[in-house]
Amino acid sequence: MTDLARPAAHPAADPTARTTGRHRSLSPRRAVLYACMVLVAIVMMFPLYWLVISSLKRPEESARIPATWWPHALDFSAYVRVFEDVPFARSFMNSVLFAGVCATTVVVTSVLAAFVFAKYRFRGRNALFWVLVLTMFLPPIVTIVPLYNMMSALGLNDSYLGVMLPWFANAFGIFLMRQFIADVPDELIDAARIDGAGELRVVTQIVAPLLKPPIVTLFVFAAVYYWNNFLWPLTILQSTEKFPITVTLAQLLSYNTTVQYQSVVMAGVLIASLPTLIIFLIAQRVFVQGISQSGVK
Amino acid sequence: MTATAVLPKGGGAVRTRRRQGRHPGAASAFLSPAVVLIGAFVLIPMVLTFWISFHTGTMSTPLGEMQWAGWSNYTDVFRDPTHRQAFTNTAIYVGLSLLITLPISFLIAMLVYAPKLRGSALLRVILFSTYVIPTVAIVIIWSQLYSPQYGPLDVMLRTVGLPEPGWLSSPNSALISLVIFNVWQMIGYYVILLVAGLTQIPQEVYEAASIDGAGAVRRTTSITIPLLRNTFVFVGLMTVINSVQVFDPIYLLTQGGPINSTLTISFDIQRTAIQYGLAGQASAMAAGMLVMIGIVGGLVAVALRKRP
Repeated sequence: MTDLARPAAHPAADPTARTTGRHRSLSPRRAVLYACMVLVAIVMMFPLYWLVISSLKRPEESARIPATWWPHALDFSAYVRVFEDVPFARSFMNSVLFAGVCATTVVVTSVLAAFVFAKYRFRGRNALFWVLVLTMFLPPIVTIVPLYNMMSALGLNDSYLGVMLPWFANAFGIFLMRQFIADVPDELIDAARIDGAGELRVVTQIVAPLLKPPIVTLFVFAAVYYWNNFLWPLTILQSTEKFPITVTLAQLLSYNTTVQYQSVVMAGVLIASLPTLIIFLIAQRVFVQGISQSGVK
Repeated sequence: MTATAVLPKGGGAVRTRRRQGRHPGAASAFLSPAVVLIGAFVLIPMVLTFWISFHTGTMSTPLGEMQWAGWSNYTDVFRDPTHRQAFTNTAIYVGLSLLITLPISFLIAMLVYAPKLRGSALLRVILFSTYVIPTVAIVIIWSQLYSPQYGPLDVMLRTVGLPEPGWLSSPNSALISLVIFNVWQMIGYYVILLVAGLTQIPQEVYEAASIDGAGAVRRTTSITIPLLRNTFVFVGLMTVINSVQVFDPIYLLTQGGPINSTLTISFDIQRTAIQYGLAGQASAMAAGMLVMIGIVGGLVAVALRKRP
């Protein structure tokens, strides 16, 4: 991929100049297609470019009209200030905790349930499966009032457990894992049973090791989803020290609204975006496969 | 969305060995964590949403102490022009998102899928990277791009001599401005779904059409688009589901303004519930939203059943 990637890695460079060497010829049709690709890449990357340069501008430069298109002097002090002005490090760790715990439990609950749906037969199996899968399409906002009420009744308002507990299981996870567990040969499972393996050992030692790519997909999916979660922590938490990074970013946005403060806000945005971006870039092949799997039926 | 429409073929209909009843203990032990959690934190709250919508109380009033209110929450919501506006705005937001997302994601998918183009793998990564960035972060970045004097978008428009639309600060353009960055953020996801659909179309169909003299445009309109129908329906459904719950940008940037032009149902529900403490009214709106999603889901199920 690294080789393929090179021409578009520098959208500013003329892709035609780079390809002529190795390609037979560049037809007008292909030139138009390449131009479209570069255009799409620029539109997608420009806001991210703006994010990076805005975080590196000095306060005076942020206030310049018209805006400067690259920082005239690099200034990294915003990356220090963001940790001083709000409890940014604490929020970052809270988010790591929320995303890590939820993604782990989602993988465990999904694999166990999916194993039953894929390999057991019992009355009502399909009905139960589709009721669970339908919850996949339910926007969290429609249940926020009763959920808040339940958490208050359980005394979990403004607690770490209250943020995470509703998200320990996920219908999409069950749906995704069932597709893959169905492909595990029954003979393999039966052989393990004949050797005296209990059902739990069948799952953990026979099925799970065969499912490494889909498990990675699900873990990444879930971690990204819970890292980005905003509405629920905003609703259930009141103490600043328990906020995840998304809620702290919202606070940072209102902390100081002058244009000179823009670089600090943007530094916070960049740090908050990096973990999911990095995880995605590492696992992008698996991740894209997982999405394709969820769509093609 | 029925079982018949989506179940993968050969889903274990015929098995030589019957497995039922062999490990009932393990089955319920493995199922119960997921079923109990989803039941307790999704299904029961869904039912409670309807229940609370017929009662009055604050957000933390114990359910047993809530007062019966009949349909009054619903009449209060639908008589209030502000709440009605939230429903209209959400419908416009969803409609515009669909209208922009479907054609653009299809064109980009065709571009990414075009044969022997170098760099399309990288383009896919670039497209998708915006999807994994927190929406809160996207919102803040775009608020800077839109910023009236300091933002680069206005600078560009001024350079080419176009009027500046006022973006988020004008009631005429605020909602569409929110749609634009919603599409920008989500487009990669839909492109990947569509490319997955494109790879399912057998190459022979195109070859046969070429032999019959069909040009590129003809092949697209009479083969690609009809054969992608189910993928389009799925992409459309996901666009509706994702955009109907838009909350983050409104909470962070506009608070529903200017003049309620960006007030959406999700923001209205959250504000009515948390700021005003009206659990019943908020639930009535949530129930309305649920019913509308149910109708859309039902239409999609019908659309998927009617296979050509």
